[in-house]
Amino acid sequence: MTEAVLQLDDIVKSFGATKAVDRVSIDVGRDEFFSLLGPSGSGKTTLLRIIAGLETPDRGRVLINGEDVTRLPPYARRLGMVFQDFLLFPHRTVAENVAFPLKMQGVSPAVLKQQLEWALDLVHLTGLEERFPHQLSGGQKQRVALARGLVSRPSVLLLDEPLANLDRELRKEMEIEVRRFQIDLGIPFIYVTHNQEEALTMSDRMAVMNRGVLEQVGPKLELYERPRTGFVAAFVGSANRLHGEIRGIDGAVARIDWGGNELLGATPSGAGVGDRVDYFIKSERIAIVPAEGAGNAEGHTRLAARLRDVIFKGQYADYIVTLPSGSELVVSGPPALDGLTPRSDVVLHWPAEAADVFAAEAP
Amino acid sequence: MAAVNPGERLLIVGQSVMLLLLYIFLYFPIFYVVYLSFMENNVWPFPPEFTLDHYALLESMSDFHEGLINSTLIGLGTGALSALFACLAVVGLLKYRSRFRAALIVLYMSPLFVAHILIGISTLMFNRGVLDMPGNIPSTILANTTYGVAFAFLVILAQLLRYDWRLDEAAMVFGARPARTFWEVTLPNTWPALLGAFLVSFILAFNNLDISFYNLGAIPTLPTIAWGTLRHGVKPELYALASIVNALVFLILITLYFLLRTGLVKLGHRD
Amino acid sequence: MSQVEAVRTSPLGRLWMNRNLRFACLTLPGAIFILLFLVAPLMSIVVFSFWRTESYNLIAEWNLDNYRVLLSDPTYLTFLWRSTVMAVAVSLISLVYAYPVAYLIAKHGGRYRLILVLLTAAPFLTGIILRVTAIQHILGPIGLINMALTTFGMEPVEVLMYSNVASAIGLVYLWAPFMVLAIYLSLLNFNFELLEVAKVCGARPWRAFVEVTWPLNWMGTAIGIVLVFVPTLASSVTPRFLGGVDGALYGTILAHQFGATGTWALGSAMGVILFALSLIVILGIWRAVNLRRSGFTGEEA
Repeated sequence: MTEAVLQLDDIVKSFGATKAVDRVSIDVGRDEFFSLLGPSGSGKTTLLRIIAGLETPDRGRVLINGEDVTRLPPYARRLGMVFQDFLLFPHRTVAENVAFPLKMQGVSPAVLKQQLEWALDLVHLTGLEERFPHQLSGGQKQRVALARGLVSRPSVLLLDEPLANLDRELRKEMEIEVRRFQIDLGIPFIYVTHNQEEALTMSDRMAVMNRGVLEQVGPKLELYERPRTGFVAAFVGSANRLHGEIRGIDGAVARIDWGGNELLGATPSGAGVGDRVDYFIKSERIAIVPAEGAGNAEGHTRLAARLRDVIFKGQYADYIVTLPSGSELVVSGPPALDGLTPRSDVVLHWPAEAADVFAAEAP
Repeated sequence: MAAVNPGERLLIVGQSVMLLLLYIFLYFPIFYVVYLSFMENNVWPFPPEFTLDHYALLESMSDFHEGLINSTLIGLGTGALSALFACLAVVGLLKYRSRFRAALIVLYMSPLFVAHILIGISTLMFNRGVLDMPGNIPSTILANTTYGVAFAFLVILAQLLRYDWRLDEAAMVFGARPARTFWEVTLPNTWPALLGAFLVSFILAFNNLDISFYNLGAIPTLPTIAWGTLRHGVKPELYALASIVNALVFLILITLYFLLRTGLVKLGHRD
Repeated sequence: MSQVEAVRTSPLGRLWMNRNLRFACLTLPGAIFILLFLVAPLMSIVVFSFWRTESYNLIAEWNLDNYRVLLSDPTYLTFLWRSTVMAVAVSLISLVYAYPVAYLIAKHGGRYRLILVLLTAAPFLTGIILRVTAIQHILGPIGLINMALTTFGMEPVEVLMYSNVASAIGLVYLWAPFMVLAIYLSLLNFNFELLEVAKVCGARPWRAFVEVTWPLNWMGTAIGIVLVFVPTLASSVTPRFLGGVDGALYGTILAHQFGATGTWALGSAMGVILFALSLIVILGIWRAVNLRRSGFTGEEA
C-alpha cells in the first residue's frame, strides 16, 4: 500500500450519553477504494462527517496528507463529497452546481471552464449544463453530484451512501461506474454504505463498524473469508448463523452441539468445553448432495436434511433445507444439481475450516 | 382523510357559516369605509352620490404629506432593523445547538406579550430619563423594532424551519465559508421569508399608534393624524385616509402572499 | 494548501471557527436590542413608579404615594376591575368564536388553508385607529346600523354605541384574529386521526373534543388567550372612542397620565400594575400548560 493519504487516529465522538464513534483508527492509501460498512447507527456516517469537518471529534486526530486537520473547518479541507440525497443546489444550474467548488476556490475563469468540461464529460453530462436539478432524473442528479465532488480534484472523495436513492438496476450500473472513476482518477474514495454487497463489489479495503466500534478493517477478501468477529461474519456475505455448545475439543478442532447435530469448527481462542459459541457457515461453502450415495468425508461436518425449496437466482441457486430438528439452512450452489428436487433427502457437508466460530456474545 | 358522516357535515356547515360571518364582520367595516370615502353623504349614503372631495381635502391637509413621509420612514426603518435582527437570530438558532436556545426563543417572542401602550410609555420615559434621547423618528423606530422583531422572528422562523440545512453543509464542504454559504446558498433559497418579515414589520410600524405616539410628541404620522381627526369627531377625510392606507396594506399583503406561495413551491425545501 | 494555512494562522480566523462564537454573534444582536429597548425600559418604569412628578418633571424622591393612591382610591380600582372583566369577557368570546373557525380551516382548508387564515389576520395590519373608526361608523348613533333601522322606521339601538358593549365588540374585532391564528397553528400539528381512534373507543363528538382535541391543543389555545387578554387589558383607544362617557377603562386613564396632566410617576405606577397583572395571568396560564402535560402534539416524534 502506498503512503496513507488519510489517517484517522483514535477518533472518539459522543452525542450526549451515546458513543457514536469509539476509538477508531484507519489508514487509507492513495489508490484505494475504501468502504465503511455497517448497519444504521453504527457510526459510519458520523465518522465520514468527522473526516469532512462537519463534526469535531472529542478525541483523536484526522490527518490528510500528513497534515493535522482535526480542528479545521470543512471549507478549508479541500475535500470532495457526494451526499445521499444528492443535495444539489436547487437554485443553480447543473453547470453552476458542478463549478461551485472551483468558484469557492477562486480559480481563474479559464481553468474553471476547463475543469468543468472535464468533469461533465467524465460523468457523461455534457449538454445538460443549463438544466436545473428539478428537471433531472435520479440518475442524472447522481452524476451531477459526482461531478461536483470530483471537479476540484480533491485529495480524497467522500461518498455517503450515494446510491441508496436509486432504483436497483441503476444502482448496479452506477456501482461499476463509480468504481471505474476511482481507478481512473487514482484518488482514494471513502464510501459509506450499509449494503455489504455493494461494498464487496466496489472496494479494495473495507472497515466494518458496529455501534461505534471498528470490528475489523482490511482487504475485502480478508473480511469475507476470515472474519475476526461474529458481527463481521454475520454482516459480510450471507452466512447461516447457528448457536451451539462445545462438547469436546480435539486440538484445533472443536465438536459443537447444535440442537442435536454435531458441527466441527476451529476452536475459538480461550474456549473450553461447555462454552457457548456462534457458528457461521457461508451458504456457498456447504456442499449439498443427494442422500443416497453420499460418502463420508473425514473431518467434515455432516448433516442429514430434507430439501424444502430451490430458489433459482440465475447463475446460482439457493437451496433451502430443513433439518430433523426443525431448523433451516440456506445452501448456495450451482443451479439444477442432479438429484436435488424438493422434498428429497440430502446430505450437507463442509470441512471444519470452512466455518467461522466465535465465543457467543452474552445474551 | 376519513369519510365525512352526516353529523360531521353539519358541523362543517356550521363552522363555515361562522367563518363567513367572521369575514363579513372583519371586512365589511373596511369596505364600508372605502365606500363612504367616495360618498357625498356620510351618514346615510344611499342612494350613492359619488365624489372625490374627501380625497382632495385630505390632500390639502397640511400635516398629511408630512405624516405620510414620517410613517413611511418609521416603517422602513423598523422593517429593516426587525428583519435584520430576526434573520440573524433564526439562522443562528437553527444552525447551531446551544443550551440557551429555548431562553432566546422566549426572549425574541416576549414583545408579543407586552401591551403597546406599555412599550410606548416605557420607552418614552427610558429614552428621556436614562438615555437622554429626545422623542423623534429614530427613537420611534427603535421602539417599534422591539415589537416588529418578534413578528419578523415568527415569519422567518416559520419559513426557515422548512429549509434543508444540509445544503449549507454541502456548500461548506465545497469550500464556502459561513458568510459565503449564506450569500450563495441560504439567501437565494429563503429570501421570500426575509422580505415577508420586512413587509410585516413595515406595516405594523407604519400603522402603529400606541408605541409611536408617546415617542413622537408633536411629530405627525398618519395614525396620529387620524387620531387627532377622530378626537374632533369623525370627518370624511378620515375615510379617505383609511381607504388609502388599507389599499396600501392589502397591496403589500398580496405581494407577501405570492412570495410565500413561491417559497412553498420551489427552492430548497424538504419534502 | 495555502487556504488551509490562512484559515489556521490568522487569529481572527481561528476565533471565527468557534461555533459558540458564531452562534453568539448571530443571536445576540437582536437579543441585546430587546433587552435594551424593551426590558430595560420596562424595568425603568418600575423605578419611576416610586418617584414623584412635579410640574411635568420626574423628581427622584422615593415614595410609595403612587401605589397608595392607586390601591386605595376606589376609582382606580374600579377601572382596573372593569378592564379585567372586559379582558376576560373578550377573551372568552374570542375563544368560543375562534376555535370552530380555526378548526375548520385547519382540518378542511386543504390548499386554501394559508390564504384563509391570512385573510383573518390581514385586517389587523390596517392599524388600530382605522379599525376603530370603521367600527364607530357602523355602530354609532348615526352609524350604519342605527341609520338603517331609523330609515326603515324602527328605533335605534342605544346599547350599541358609547357603551361597554360597543367596546367589547370593538375589542373582539381587533384581537380575535390572533386567537384564530394561535389555535390554527396548534391544530396544524394535530393528528386528527386521533379523533377516529376516540370514536372507535366509543367517544361521542363532544367527548372526543374534550378528551382529545382540547388537551392536545391547550398550549396553542393558551397562547391565543394571552395574545388577546394582554392587549385588551391595556386598551386605551378603543374604550375611549367606543365606550362613551362611562366606558373609560384602565388603559384610558393610564394614557391620560402621559397626556395633559403630565403625572408620569403615577402613570408609571399604573403601568407597573398593568404589567404585573399581565405577568400573573401569563404565568398562571404557563403553569396550567405545564401541569396539563399536554403531550404537545398527537404526532409521532
